[in-house]
Amino acid sequence: MDEKIHFSARPELRNPTMIVGWSMDAGRLGWRVTDYLVRKLGGQAFCEIEPADFFPLNGVTIINDIVFFPESRFYACPEKDLVVFRSTPPSYEWYQFLSLILDVAQDYCHVREIYTVGSMIAMGAHTAPRQFFGTMGSPELKMELSGYNLTREMDFETPPGGRPTLNSFFLWAAKRRGIPSANLWIPIPFYLVSADDPEAYRGVLDFLSDRLRLGLDLTELDEQAGLQNEKIDQIRAAHPEIDSIIGKLERGLRLGEGEGEKLAKEVGDFLREAGNESSSG
Amino acid sequence: MGIVFCSEPELHQPAMIVGWPGIGNIGVLTVDNLRQQVEAEELGEIEPWDYFYPNKVIIRDGVLHDLEFPTSKFYYKKLADRDLLLFIGEEQPSGRGRMYAEGGKAYEMANQVLDVAEKFGCRRIYTSGAAVALTHHSLRSRVWSVATERRLLSEMKSYTNAFLMSEVEGRQNIGNITGLNGLLIGVAKKRGFEGVCLMGEIPDYLSRVPFPYPKASQSVLEVLAAILGISVDMTAFDDMIDQMEDLIANVLRQFPREIRERVEQRKQEAQPEVITEEDEEWIKEHIDDFFQGGGGDKA
Repeated sequence: MDEKIHFSARPELRNPTMIVGWSMDAGRLGWRVTDYLVRKLGGQAFCEIEPADFFPLNGVTIINDIVFFPESRFYACPEKDLVVFRSTPPSYEWYQFLSLILDVAQDYCHVREIYTVGSMIAMGAHTAPRQFFGTMGSPELKMELSGYNLTREMDFETPPGGRPTLNSFFLWAAKRRGIPSANLWIPIPFYLVSADDPEAYRGVLDFLSDRLRLGLDLTELDEQAGLQNEKIDQIRAAHPEIDSIIGKLERGLRLGEGEGEKLAKEVGDFLREAGNESSSG
Repeated sequence: MGIVFCSEPELHQPAMIVGWPGIGNIGVLTVDNLRQQVEAEELGEIEPWDYFYPNKVIIRDGVLHDLEFPTSKFYYKKLADRDLLLFIGEEQPSGRGRMYAEGGKAYEMANQVLDVAEKFGCRRIYTSGAAVALTHHSLRSRVWSVATERRLLSEMKSYTNAFLMSEVEGRQNIGNITGLNGLLIGVAKKRGFEGVCLMGEIPDYLSRVPFPYPKASQSVLEVLAAILGISVDMTAFDDMIDQMEDLIANVLRQFPREIRERVEQRKQEAQPEVITEEDEEWIKEHIDDFFQGGGGDKA
């Protein structure tokens, strides 16, 4: 196999499903979902893509005193016949990078399906029922996924000046190889993007657990989602203006100038502070 | 990465004319206008996915319908006196996040373009691009030329409004042409093709504005038409130039007063030769400050 791929182990897999998550989507949804799967299912890293051709490597990024370096790793969860790929999105040579992932998926893992996890920023309120979207590589997979709580009828074209997501590029590349694949899209209310949205990744994990028979116990995430809703209720009670803005979203009304920014800042700051307090306590 | 052909015409020693986007989109506008005027037919394209990030996804009823990439297409036209091969790249391959192509990807694409030239018996390649000049947008753009061989220079000089790069006032004998419009000529020389790059003048103060500059493309097309011995209709460019007048006026209105005055001085003098080196430096410095300060976003 290509010298840009480095295997550290050769786990035995039968005909696994692969889940792909990137580190930089809104709310870090894909990153959190794949992290959860690796932790809960005892995933072990077995392979990585060497970074030199795909990232600038002109230094390192430091966030809150922590060094961040690009990583692109495959994890195996043999008991569940699952492979998880977690990566920083490449800065260039995208097609070559996606092809390497698919080489591992196809030639080594012999995957039967691939799902990517991504989020989209939504203008709705967090109290509204969440809708989960799927974009499939083929009508056959669309049909197969009909029994799940997944909206499968999306029509979309990238608007002028925009660019497709890396997940769309990946889906296209997988489709060219005939690998059944789907992008899972979960809307995250815009004011939760910088904080956390356990309800969103609970929804994705619920789908994956059901589809792949992973038997995940999601009680922990139910509690986190409930706790977060309580915190937002506290902000609403303490700040009538925030309550009024969320109320507008709940009634489907347009926000006034600056209201969206104010809501995102106040809720984001509050949830981050509350998160810091609970983690330090 | 391959080249997919949709036609295999018999061509007789065609000239190849190549354009990629760049400053003022001068080259790509020129070639595309020529393509339309001669009604060139599509010949094929370079497969894009290894060069480009896609620019559009189309999802229909939940299923991925298509993913579109910037195109890199070849066209051809059989003319009475001379056959033509045209190449239009919608984007330069973005290597390592830079604006213009460089390095391995650019070299690879340049070679693929020349592979097609070779396949169809072409021996001479023309590229075109921008010559950032100390001129005024009301003046006619001159066309600077460089070539792979000395013997081509006298031919280039013979065309109306065409100058050798070294003849342009205030220029040294050394310069460079950034991106694929330049690189292709270098690779053409390496592979033994005759190559000429024709550069239309764009005023220095518009070189960082994200608009096309059709006046320069028009001048390049005039020179190309003379080289190829064909007649071309300039109506489309005339219309574009008229449309751009308002946009350019808007840009100028947002420049600080001192820059506007110095720019207008060029128009009144109408002779680029009298612009001093100090003027050039002063405007360059202040235009850079203007764009770095975010003023360019208002344009």
